[in-house]
Amino acid sequence: MTLAADPARDPGHDGVQPSGAILPARGLGDRVSAVFWRHPNVLLATLLALPLLWLVVVYLGSLAALLMQSFYSIDEFSGQIRREFTLSTYAELLRPANMDIIIRTVAMSAAVTLGAVVIAFPIAYFAARYARGHWKALFYLGVMLPLWSSYLVKVYAWKLILAREGIITWATDGIGASAVLNGILALPVIGGNSLSTSYIGTWLVFLYVWLPYMILPMQAALERVPQSMLEASADLGASRWQTMQTVVFPLALPGIIAGSIFTFSLTMGDYIIPQIVGSSRRFIGQAVYQLQGTAGNIPLAAAFAVIPIVIMLIYLTVARRKGAFDAL
Amino acid sequence: MTTAVEFLNVSRHFGSIRAVDGVTLNIAEGTFFAMLGPSGSGKTTCLRLISGFEQPTGGQIRIFGQDCIDVPPNRRNVNTVFQDYALFPHMNVRDNVAYGLMVKGVDKRTRLSRADELLALVKLDHHGSRKPGELSGGQRQRVALARALINEPRVLLLDEPLGALDLKLREAMQDELKALQQRLGITFVFVTHDQGEALSMADQVAVFSEGQIAQIGTPAEIYEKPRTRFVADFVGSSNVLSAEMAAGFGGAARPASLRPEAVRIVEEGACVRGRVQALRYLGSGTRVIVAVPGGELSVFVTKGLPVPAQGAEVGLNWDAQAMHPMEQG
Repeated sequence: MTLAADPARDPGHDGVQPSGAILPARGLGDRVSAVFWRHPNVLLATLLALPLLWLVVVYLGSLAALLMQSFYSIDEFSGQIRREFTLSTYAELLRPANMDIIIRTVAMSAAVTLGAVVIAFPIAYFAARYARGHWKALFYLGVMLPLWSSYLVKVYAWKLILAREGIITWATDGIGASAVLNGILALPVIGGNSLSTSYIGTWLVFLYVWLPYMILPMQAALERVPQSMLEASADLGASRWQTMQTVVFPLALPGIIAGSIFTFSLTMGDYIIPQIVGSSRRFIGQAVYQLQGTAGNIPLAAAFAVIPIVIMLIYLTVARRKGAFDAL
Repeated sequence: MTTAVEFLNVSRHFGSIRAVDGVTLNIAEGTFFAMLGPSGSGKTTCLRLISGFEQPTGGQIRIFGQDCIDVPPNRRNVNTVFQDYALFPHMNVRDNVAYGLMVKGVDKRTRLSRADELLALVKLDHHGSRKPGELSGGQRQRVALARALINEPRVLLLDEPLGALDLKLREAMQDELKALQQRLGITFVFVTHDQGEALSMADQVAVFSEGQIAQIGTPAEIYEKPRTRFVADFVGSSNVLSAEMAAGFGGAARPASLRPEAVRIVEEGACVRGRVQALRYLGSGTRVIVAVPGGELSVFVTKGLPVPAQGAEVGLNWDAQAMHPMEQG
């Protein structure tokens, strides 16, 4: 290799020193990147070391600790934790009072998820199919803006909105629809004294707080459905409703599942919303909070905490079996 | 002969953009009709006007004599093979093909057996249970074709159907499409920017330019007698002679087209002399670009004849009737 080529033989580059076939390294950066280039696995290891450490030690480790705790039990007399393997703590979950908490929480999570799907779909569909430019920016802003303000502030604001003296009562009175509101509140189980002390109120607040987590993945999934696919469906004779059922919905399903993982698990783990808005009956989150705090029953708290994990695993397995991820 | 598709002064404007501007055309039943033009010339919009994905801003469209303004796509008895095939990724090949029957409420057994027949027609018999993602481009194209044919459309629309395929496959599919069309007797309307494709497959070609039809005719007419400079330029690589040049060579005082293969390289009796600027080897012959006074001429030298060297001075000659006079502009 000759670095200094004969200028006479290289008339194209007048005056500029022609370079050799291999350029010199420009310092440490080039040397390091050369090492990475020769050993791609080193790069991968460097990139993953820290996150993996976090994931394995902090995340999976604490999860394992939690699981382990749930197999311990508590001594009824001394209140001490007995560190021996037992299933008695899980058996305790089957007590009617505890089963009520579980069923209540799962039912609420399912209702919130369902409500979120119904409300999020048109919004996500609009954003994915029609919103362009400013409208798209407005969509993102509208969806994300509520996430910027404090969760507690939002929940307390909702308590005021839903209260007996709140704006909803006032507005329904104003349009002469208080009979409708009272009718809804008179419904068994989900009704109550006022919206802010009923399951409906809890549901509404959950729905509001978690809705963005449903809209965004759904919108991302719908965005990946090309226009030509909808046209192909119409072209082959499908009505809009048929296209929705047979093409759009199945293709959006992975996004819906992703969103429902958020809404479902966030609702199952939350202990603040049901405490502030709703009837005073407990949810899993509250049970865990009280058991590990005031009651000092860590094993039972851990067993309670395992339930959402198990339910999510079952949910995902069923979704997979049903072909929800076929479009991925 | 029955008219399958009829456009009467049809326009489709998007704001100030005139995608389709006053197009009138008749497509006879059973023809293989090509809409040829560069991108943005309005050919695809015309296709979408037939399928119903676009509504005209002016004019009338009739399909088999029936006015189809305000008729949505799902109620038109025409089907489309989309450029990206638009196969449903969550359904297997059979369900994709059977889709048109499924939405009509045909029972599962009937529609799947019909889908199998169509898959056999496009030679994909044993791929029914695969997902579109597992197929090659050419196979996907056949599935799209089978799917579009299952409703027995009266007109089949094909939007650049071969655009995504490589050359070898494209040529094979051209023959197959043509054979299929002849066998089924359905009117095919086919959009392409590839002039070779249009000329080799179609019975009739409409050349589009800026939302308007520059010329309609048989492939031979379009190729041999281009009406405008645009058609001469776009279809093949014709030489365009200015009015003065044409008159100088014994033709009418109008711009004229001159096919490269009609030009001969001669020693004596040359119409014009020039210097060889470039040579392009094409396999079946060589294209010689000769600089002549007033422009350059492209000459096609068939394989076996002597090819001049680059920079050589050559004489050119052609028959006066090889020059085809065109409209001004």
